[in-house]
Amino acid sequence: MPEYGEVNDNVMEEEDTQRNKFLTFLIGNEFYGIEIKHVTEIIGIHVITEIPEVPEYIKGIINLRGKIIPVMDVRLRFKKEYREYNDRTCIIVIDVKDVSIGLIVDSVCEVLTMQDTDIIEPPDINKGGNKYIKGIGRTGTDVKLILDCDKLLNDEVVEGIGSIQS
Amino acid sequence: MSDNYINEPMLEIYLFETTSNIQNLESLVLRSETNSSFTQDSINEIFRILHTIKGSSSMMLYDGISSVAHSIEDLFYYIREKKDVNFEFDVLSELIFNFIDFAKVEIEKIKCGDLVDGDSTHLINDVKDFLNQLIQLNPSKEEVIIPTSNTKQQYYIQQGNKDSTSQEMINTPMNYYKTVITFEDGCEMENIRAYTIVHNLNDITQELFHFPQELFDNEESVTTIRERGFILYIKTDKHYEEMYEIVNKSMFLKELEFTQLEEESEFEWGRGCKTLETPEIKIPEIDNRVEAVVERDTGSVQSIISVNVTKLDKLMDLVGEMVIAEAMVTQNPDLKGLELENFQKASRQLRKITSELQDTVMSIRMIPMANTFNKMQRVVRDMSKKLCKEIKLEILGEETEVDKNIIEHISDPIMHLVRNAIDHGIESSEERVLSNKPKKGTVTLEAKNVGSDVLVMIKDDGRGLNKNKILQKARDHGLIWKKEDEMTDKEIYNLIFLPGFSTKEGVSEYSGRGVGMDVVLKNIDEVGGSASIESIEGVGSTITLKIPLTLAIIEGMNIKVGNARYTLPTTAIKQSFRPKESEIIIDPNGNEMIMVRGQCYPILRLHSHFGVNTKINNLSEGILIMIDQDERSICIFADGLIGHQQVVVKSLPNYIRKTNNVQGLAGCTLLGDGSISLILDIGGLINAS
Amino acid sequence: MPKVLIVDDSSFMRMAIKSVLEKNGYEIVGEAENGVMGVHMYKELKPDIVTMDITMPVMTGIDAVKSIMKYDPNAKIVMLSAMGQEDMVMESILAGAKTFIVKPLKYDYLLDIIKKLI
Repeated sequence: MPEYGEVNDNVMEEEDTQRNKFLTFLIGNEFYGIEIKHVTEIIGIHVITEIPEVPEYIKGIINLRGKIIPVMDVRLRFKKEYREYNDRTCIIVIDVKDVSIGLIVDSVCEVLTMQDTDIIEPPDINKGGNKYIKGIGRTGTDVKLILDCDKLLNDEVVEGIGSIQS
Repeated sequence: MSDNYINEPMLEIYLFETTSNIQNLESLVLRSETNSSFTQDSINEIFRILHTIKGSSSMMLYDGISSVAHSIEDLFYYIREKKDVNFEFDVLSELIFNFIDFAKVEIEKIKCGDLVDGDSTHLINDVKDFLNQLIQLNPSKEEVIIPTSNTKQQYYIQQGNKDSTSQEMINTPMNYYKTVITFEDGCEMENIRAYTIVHNLNDITQELFHFPQELFDNEESVTTIRERGFILYIKTDKHYEEMYEIVNKSMFLKELEFTQLEEESEFEWGRGCKTLETPEIKIPEIDNRVEAVVERDTGSVQSIISVNVTKLDKLMDLVGEMVIAEAMVTQNPDLKGLELENFQKASRQLRKITSELQDTVMSIRMIPMANTFNKMQRVVRDMSKKLCKEIKLEILGEETEVDKNIIEHISDPIMHLVRNAIDHGIESSEERVLSNKPKKGTVTLEAKNVGSDVLVMIKDDGRGLNKNKILQKARDHGLIWKKEDEMTDKEIYNLIFLPGFSTKEGVSEYSGRGVGMDVVLKNIDEVGGSASIESIEGVGSTITLKIPLTLAIIEGMNIKVGNARYTLPTTAIKQSFRPKESEIIIDPNGNEMIMVRGQCYPILRLHSHFGVNTKINNLSEGILIMIDQDERSICIFADGLIGHQQVVVKSLPNYIRKTNNVQGLAGCTLLGDGSISLILDIGGLINAS
Repeated sequence: MPKVLIVDDSSFMRMAIKSVLEKNGYEIVGEAENGVMGVHMYKELKPDIVTMDITMPVMTGIDAVKSIMKYDPNAKIVMLSAMGQEDMVMESILAGAKTFIVKPLKYDYLLDIIKKLI
């Protein structure tokens, strides 16, 4: 697996060809993917300044070369157990409709190309946990859960996402 | 027209220029309204503005705007030429205002990227009807012909070098040519183009004739030339190639038939076909209409350039980052404890320059309130007409400058307050006369600098606020937060700023829905300002908006609470001190308070308010900082002071602001060591205590 | 690169003309917003071609043409006119303008004319 630093090179491409490329990352044992077109950069863990009275998955804000960016702990967002940050922990900075936010993930994997045929609709699950999953991509034996960035940023707390993995 | 050429910068310039022209047009008409007539200069200026709008709008393919502008331009052409037309001023100004409103709406559509589909037919018909009416009402012997209709004009045409009938010329062999010229489709004014060719050939030909002969009978000659081409018979000593070259150089040529005539007789035949003698014609007197146009002060125009706001914002950001970077260098932890005299000197110099650069860049973004204030003229005019009240708008201190960002935020609140003053404040003319007030109500807009703030006052000499009515309404809506007899007049009046409040009996189109005042306050709040109201019943009311000169940079005091860092605006700090245990009081509700010089102040523990872990829990081990705003003061408790710094305010990301529920944060900033310090919002903290 | 001077009171028109010409290899050496500045700039910058609007404040296009032709009889001036300005176009041609183009501007025509004039 390429080091996360190298993934950046793949980001500079045409809009069209970016459509089927996904950045995959790991939370626990599950692989998730987000469309590369939303990803602006990937950085290591930064000093986070806490903000009071925000949902617990919003850890606070960081200083990214002078720009103030909020960061979200994806584990907590998906109601999983909090894990201490280490040097593998990464922040994926995404830009969705002019909103910049950093997603704290366990580690970053690689950029994958998945054809539309590789991606299937998510199963209809209770509690609307699948709201945040746009689709399920199969690559070989692995399954990647493709996230809907829009909903991730805007909707209320996600529940039961773990139950999709079966 | 190739779409490749219509691009973003052009659109921006078009919008900028057209918006500017519309504003000028509006001001012109408003000014003329005070006299109920147009001066000759105004008429010329209006004509010129409409002409420009028509031209650029049609180029950008905004035919709606262009066609209305065209029709009013024609109207003004008539008025200009006629010079003493009788017309109804009010009707005309109404027409122009309708155009202005139409154009404003269309321009908004353009800005938002919506379809620019406004229907202009109604407007155009109104204008045409008005013009027709004028023509009927002002009969005269001479017709004022609006160009593009039949105009027979006479011009002087030279017919070859008649005087060069010297011996030499007679002996030189002559050549005769016939040429048929077809012009490019759509090049327009083919008759004039044809004339241009004739004009250019004059010097090098002995004689020439052309068909059509009458080039200035607009309709016919143009059509003839389009259908059958422009036919020229030329007598010259030039050779074939030379002549061909010369004629071929003409502009807008689609086709050129050029033949040399073998016999002089063919040329004579051409001459014989001339049915008319070349008329003796005079050069028309075109009085330079445009001279009467208001002269622009070219001197000052040259010293102003328009700059894209995005570039300015970028510049501001960069300067802000430079301030931070400068702090990161001069306050670098690596330098701690070192004695560096030369370095200190140099960094002081750097500080000085950075500071000046900052001030200069900020001043670039400052624009005078004049623009915003003047927009109110139209509002006042429209409202007074609609409500049948006579209102005068007085403007003071419009040269006071405010940051561009801020102006954008206070424009709407000011408009709302002005509308309020006219709708609720100013009484009807009858009422006013009964109360011995001048029939005409006055609304005064004033701006002035006070310290690091700008005060904007909206004053009216209307009926003022009724304390009892307000208290009643507040009671009804459950908005009273203090014992009524303990409330000062000011506090009572300020109740109207609370959400859900409205004393107006009916909801008018303009106000009274109870969503006005608190929205005003919210907007003012967003820029870090505050609003208050003073009133005397029967005399009038004054609403004062206090807004900071600029959002971007404040003098801050950095403080620490545990690992967290906060910054307070120094202007809000009254004093800071370490309290003694004995000075602390606990009230029956368990709230901590402190006595200072006989006054009691509530204590707000920052660590509990923000949920921060700190080892310093004992009040006497930390520091109390007394802050105040609007005559309310509290003491906040922190671990300690870090230092005083000029701080670049960055707003918290929108995402955070949406989800953050705690009061007391106004933004954030970056400290010298790269860490983030949260800027405290004084008002919010005071409200929370 | 041939040098062009644009004289027009509308900054929008100036920009439109500038953008087309620059894309096609012409150098815009100056922009003037009225006749007076136009004449002044002509003398200073000595462009190869001038595009001149007819209706302008302070000094009209026609007077500017007269002035420039007096200074430089070889000046190449293209007039920009609106529909219905026949007499003024006439006057400018008589004053020495080489040709004219009618607004709304067809860029191809403008390029054609200027190419031919150079």
